[in-house]
Amino acid sequence: MTALLELKNLKTHFQRRKTTIPAVDGVDLVINKGETVALVGESGSGKSITSLSIMRLIPSPPGKIVDGEILFNGNDLVKLSDNEMCKIRGNDISMIFQEPMTSLNPVLTIGEQIIEVLMYHQKMSKNAARQKAVEMLELVGFSRAKALIDDYPHRLSGGMRQRVMIAIAMSCNPKLLIADEPTTALDVTIQAQILDLMKELSKKYDTSILLITHDLGVVSEIADRVVVMYCGQVVEEASVDDLFEEPLHPYTNGLMGSIPSLDGDVDRLYSIAGTVPPPEHFPVGCRFAPRCPHAFDRCRNEAPALQRKGSRSVRCFLHDDKEATV
Amino acid sequence: MNGTTIEKKSLLKDNRDSDYILEVNDLKKHFPIKAGFLQKTVGSIKAVDGLSFKVKKGETIGLVGESGCGKSTAGRTLIRLYEPTSGEIIFKGRNISNIGEGELRRSVRKDIQMVFQDPYASLNPRKTLKSILSEPMITHNLYGSKERQEKIQDLLDKVGFNPLFINRYPHEFSGGQRQRIGIARALALNPDMIIADEPVSALDVSIQAQIINLMEDLQEELDLTYVFISHDLSVVRHISDRVGVMYLGKIMEFASKKDLYEEPLHPYTQALMSAVPVPKRKGAQARERIILKGDLPSPANPPQGCVFHTRCPAATPMCSEQIPSFKEVKKDHFVACHLY
Repeated sequence: MTALLELKNLKTHFQRRKTTIPAVDGVDLVINKGETVALVGESGSGKSITSLSIMRLIPSPPGKIVDGEILFNGNDLVKLSDNEMCKIRGNDISMIFQEPMTSLNPVLTIGEQIIEVLMYHQKMSKNAARQKAVEMLELVGFSRAKALIDDYPHRLSGGMRQRVMIAIAMSCNPKLLIADEPTTALDVTIQAQILDLMKELSKKYDTSILLITHDLGVVSEIADRVVVMYCGQVVEEASVDDLFEEPLHPYTNGLMGSIPSLDGDVDRLYSIAGTVPPPEHFPVGCRFAPRCPHAFDRCRNEAPALQRKGSRSVRCFLHDDKEATV
Repeated sequence: MNGTTIEKKSLLKDNRDSDYILEVNDLKKHFPIKAGFLQKTVGSIKAVDGLSFKVKKGETIGLVGESGCGKSTAGRTLIRLYEPTSGEIIFKGRNISNIGEGELRRSVRKDIQMVFQDPYASLNPRKTLKSILSEPMITHNLYGSKERQEKIQDLLDKVGFNPLFINRYPHEFSGGQRQRIGIARALALNPDMIIADEPVSALDVSIQAQIINLMEDLQEELDLTYVFISHDLSVVRHISDRVGVMYLGKIMEFASKKDLYEEPLHPYTQALMSAVPVPKRKGAQARERIILKGDLPSPANPPQGCVFHTRCPAATPMCSEQIPSFKEVKKDHFVACHLY
């Protein structure tokens, strides 16, 4: 498989007065063609900032990509000018946001919002773009697309709006779709519809998806590979099957234990002690050490590196001694 | 060791089988829709439309449903934050659905407290932790100022808070900590029952587990009764003893959690369960997915007959004509569906 997107040691820091906040602190990530990769973590783990960095949508100042490369088809996105980046955004990489209620423009019709994208990126004529817009709406499952195209977003429900967002995002056949918590604001029955649609579209158009979520259920439903983030770093990376079979990092393990099950009963939920530390107070050594049930002296003093373990990798001293660092 | 405590717990519950702390009979809450210059009432939103269930002392009732199904309105109507349109709410043997505001405050409010969803919006940002927790006691004229101090220390201790935080403001706390404050506030008056409206939905999973564990511990310690409202089926399964599934203001199915989750009878419950994505291990059997077509109809204009028939995969012509009755098809397993 060939890599479509490769992040190498990406660091995005924010500046607040004199303190530097390392929101994303050395993230390595590979997304292959046609692959769905899930980026998992709790709030404050830096997953959204990672995705915004890829799109170069970090508000600057205060934010800045201070180090690292974002290789998309071999080109480093960090080095592109704003104009060049505009051509990639929407065309090659597009994005779906969490809030379907706020991410559409309320004063433009749905049609206008799709047509705008097509005319700008694909240089289509207005008529051709309108034609294509109707097609896209049908593709995402609207039966009366022709009537809907002149409606305003407020007439649609959350699930329908999210489908419109997907139609906009997919209209230029992007190679990579970044979906930031696309179903978090939706009900479960609607979430099932949207996940099915995303799976179907990615297969049909061979689109890679970077799915950002905190819901491990959604991950196992749709992803091929999972990257777990904690405090701005990748702590574990594995295929979906391997990760759910045997999570290596204590944090991943804790995350899985704290979800109540739908099929069985446990007497008491496992809970990870404490809370995610704020980025300006990341601990020295392993960032998970203060909350980790297995932490020993070395964890508190020395930061572990992300290590390769066969087809997966993990950042933890518990899995340190068997193989050499790559 | 664990096994015996569970057994003891369930034995205790069986003994209390007869005493219901709360009985709800055909509770309705309709909001008027007003239009025109004179603001005439032109229709109504049937947010809660005929709710009936009973809650035993010391148990947890879960109410699940998608957004717009009326579960939050139901919770608020139960404690008369909304005036019910019709129906009875019998709390400790007394109908509280139509008693006066003063009487309500004197005798009922103290015993039923509420925990809200959004821990960021439900605490007054200009009050310290101390005044947040003492306010309910002052309003209800409980305890002298010294006893109040002790009570606050005790509450903080119960929800696992450092007593040194007492003069801090809500913004200094994280979401999980604020939810603990919300719970402590609800406990300040020693209530019998707590209505928890999506108490963990705004929290991260690891924090969610902490709060759920805390709520379970407190229930055991203080013999509390919970009505737990949530959209998250797995959380409801974990915490509840019996569960009601709501759709468009009505309860579609009501059963013990074991019956409901292992053998859901109503097509809506079945669809809802199958739609939840579950983290599964390799080789685990893929479950049959039932994907519901379309969206929730508007509660201002609910479908004729069974409210679910527009999205139901098993709908027959009869479903669009007759409203199914809410009947007991197995012992303690109630379903509103023509299939049974």
